[in-house]
Amino acid sequence: MITSRRAFLKTAALGGASLVVAFDGKRLLGAEKKEATGQFKPNGWVRVGADGTVTLTIGKSEMGQGVRTSLAMILAEELEADWSRIKLVQASPGPEFKRLGTGGSFSLGGSWKTLRQAGAAAREMLITAAAARWKVDRATCAAIKSEVVHTASKRRFKYSELVADAAKLPVPADPPLKKASDFHLIGKPTKQIDGRNIVTGAARYGIDTKIPKMLYASIERAPWRGAKPKSSQDAKALAIHGVRLVPCSNGIAVVGETTWAALKARAALAVEWELPPPKETFDSEAHIKQLDEASDQKGFVTRKDEAPASTRPVVRTIYANYLYPFYTHAPVETMNCVADVQADRCIIWTPTQAPNSLQEEVAKFLGLAPEKVEVNVTLIGGGFGRRLAVDYALEAAEVSRAIKAPVQVLWTRTDDMRHGHFQAASAHRLSAGFDSTDTLVAWRHTKAGSPHNLKLPDAAAVRDAGYYQDLSWGVYDIPYVVPSIETAYVTVDLPVRHGPWRAVFAPSSVFAREAFIDEVAHARGIDPLGFRLELLTGPDTVKAGSLTIDRRRLRRVLEVAREKSGWGTAVAARHGRGVACNVYDGETHIAYVVDVAVDDAGKVRVERVVAAVDCGLVVNPTGVEQQVEGGIIWGISSALLGEITFRGGVAQQATYADYGVARMRDTPAIEVHIVPSEAAQPFGMGEPPVPPFAPALVNAIFAATGKRIRRLPIRPGDLKL
Amino acid sequence: MVPFMSEISLTVNGTKRTVKVDDDMPLVWVLRDTLALTGTKFGCGMGVCGSCTILEKGKAIRSCQISASQAKGRDFMTIEGLSKDASHPCQRAWLEEDVAQCGFCQPGMILTACGLLREHPDPTDAEIDAAMSDSVCRCGTYPRMRKAIRLAATALRTQKKP
Repeated sequence: MITSRRAFLKTAALGGASLVVAFDGKRLLGAEKKEATGQFKPNGWVRVGADGTVTLTIGKSEMGQGVRTSLAMILAEELEADWSRIKLVQASPGPEFKRLGTGGSFSLGGSWKTLRQAGAAAREMLITAAAARWKVDRATCAAIKSEVVHTASKRRFKYSELVADAAKLPVPADPPLKKASDFHLIGKPTKQIDGRNIVTGAARYGIDTKIPKMLYASIERAPWRGAKPKSSQDAKALAIHGVRLVPCSNGIAVVGETTWAALKARAALAVEWELPPPKETFDSEAHIKQLDEASDQKGFVTRKDEAPASTRPVVRTIYANYLYPFYTHAPVETMNCVADVQADRCIIWTPTQAPNSLQEEVAKFLGLAPEKVEVNVTLIGGGFGRRLAVDYALEAAEVSRAIKAPVQVLWTRTDDMRHGHFQAASAHRLSAGFDSTDTLVAWRHTKAGSPHNLKLPDAAAVRDAGYYQDLSWGVYDIPYVVPSIETAYVTVDLPVRHGPWRAVFAPSSVFAREAFIDEVAHARGIDPLGFRLELLTGPDTVKAGSLTIDRRRLRRVLEVAREKSGWGTAVAARHGRGVACNVYDGETHIAYVVDVAVDDAGKVRVERVVAAVDCGLVVNPTGVEQQVEGGIIWGISSALLGEITFRGGVAQQATYADYGVARMRDTPAIEVHIVPSEAAQPFGMGEPPVPPFAPALVNAIFAATGKRIRRLPIRPGDLKL
Repeated sequence: MVPFMSEISLTVNGTKRTVKVDDDMPLVWVLRDTLALTGTKFGCGMGVCGSCTILEKGKAIRSCQISASQAKGRDFMTIEGLSKDASHPCQRAWLEEDVAQCGFCQPGMILTACGLLREHPDPTDAEIDAAMSDSVCRCGTYPRMRKAIRLAATALRTQKKP
């Protein structure tokens, strides 16, 4: 179990490196064994060839969040490399890449210093080499666009000409880093580096892996975890040319010479499964009811701010319960993995967010040493947290071992909808107490939910405040000034597999908190945006658990959203404007103003979203805008369209037809305003845009209709005239 | 179920190809597994996501909804055939607007847009929505896609003028 997201992700920070792997999508032959002649490789991140090629290593998995571009920009900035002529390779687990892992919007913040130092060390060595050749003071030389220039004489060396000399120099441990005012790449809108390969169809994702003699497998899955086949009618399946059936942990693997042979044979199988154990007859509606009741319990207190003695007593309290459903990731590229298990080793090609844990788990499963499992990380056709789990890689290893051949295990869309790890449902009980002057003096928020269960619970894990705080981001780190605050967490057992989803535990909490703040403003008859600003006065920063919440930055994004959206101007009947804001993990600050129209049938149309964002130092403004746009569309999907429901232990949804996701027709006008930040380092943008969207939307719906939505997803029936 | 394999000839990206496959194999798998043209993506196999979209006589069609035997003798274009150097106006517009995030759905989206622009050289918002809303981009690149379609439409109209 990932008991502590912060602990988990912050140890996934990048280490040093010297092992570099070529990323060509076809054959990624592990470490380059031959030491290329005349190459300069001061560390694992940077390599300059005698032919002038500058090769940068990307240690994070690309799944659309733009890391291959933004991390390369950081390296190239410090290296002073010619951006138009760089080449990227993707890191594989190895002696020097022991903690690869992508999640929690931590790629930029976590890599910032390491990559700058790696690029700067290489630059300094190249300058030293040039100065020595010219016999001049190195302070009179500068690096620019993959060249070193002697400023006074205008003499130049290309980096390629300095490779041999630079390679002989010691690597500086603490090279000088560039001043932010000297950045020419960082902060400049930069196009995604893989764009050309994507639009020509040349980009290779996991599903596109083809290796010689590879077979294809589709697994007929047990409807309930752990169920075994009681009987199966195999004849029709086996009649298909080349098809083999391989019993495996998760069902029956149907192996064929093409994907189609495997899929067709799987459809021809008739399997009768053992009856499920009672707890697997899970029902989501009953579970949500149980969560709702549990949110009334005391729970583990995650924050307690005692009101100062001068605070007036509470004379009026309002309450609300908020309910949040199950969701699934539903990336367009379904889970897949190619495994080639040989006598004493295994080679994996797969779209994964967790290369090292995948290596360890596959090695453990096969009884091999981890270094005998080579993991090649491909481009990912949508991750969203799903690919932090390694289940599909274990399946491929199991089938490849059984058939003694390389095999691709590919999940169908329905496999992906029904057998993923879900975003868990949760319930929120909130109350607000007012004193005799109608001032908000007490805030209570209890979340009832379930910790991830992708792995067995670690008995040694300490169930302390930090543990429960990780499960309730957005609850305990409420940024507002209220004299008395008490937040708590109640654990409710959840038998279905569930794990991280885009923005992890924050979306449900921020939905409840930001919608209820609106209720409080309404109860007092005041403007909800102005009320938020009022609640953000007082001390500029506040400590919540391990986080420091910066109220000034949150105020600023709210003010920008207010100004840019025309907040307070009139809207038509059945139209409304709503606001919400959030500080994601103490780092990225976002405020949204959402404009909606609700028709008489109760159908909601999001017309416009104005976003104001402070994500620290901006590496790639284009990337920031893309993530906000994508996060809003993600929010529209989950607030207005799909949810996963379970009956009899089985997820009821099977395709995009019954698990709705936003389409072009659902797309509003989106304006992104990047607010200049005082922060000297970048923060993540993949997840932060998600949590504040749903509450801004329900607040807008309230403004349009007077109806308060307290359960997602929103159904037209809730809002019909 | 006795498998029935046939030799099937079809034209892909201007080249005649003969493959020996099951009659009922959907074209998406003929392209991906047999011809190794992996730019055409598999996303659902049920015609609801649009990832496998290709062109036939300029019209966008779903390659998961056509069997190999139905594809016999027909002429298709995949993303690999649109241009190798990203020079087609749709590809250029996609790069100009920096549409892609993960990029997985984009070959299908680009070809769907090509089909739209052939039918509606100057599409309205409603026409864009109607043509594009049968396809799924889970990263949510629709706002940029809409801009790219407009840009490509202008480029294509200009190109056609003498």
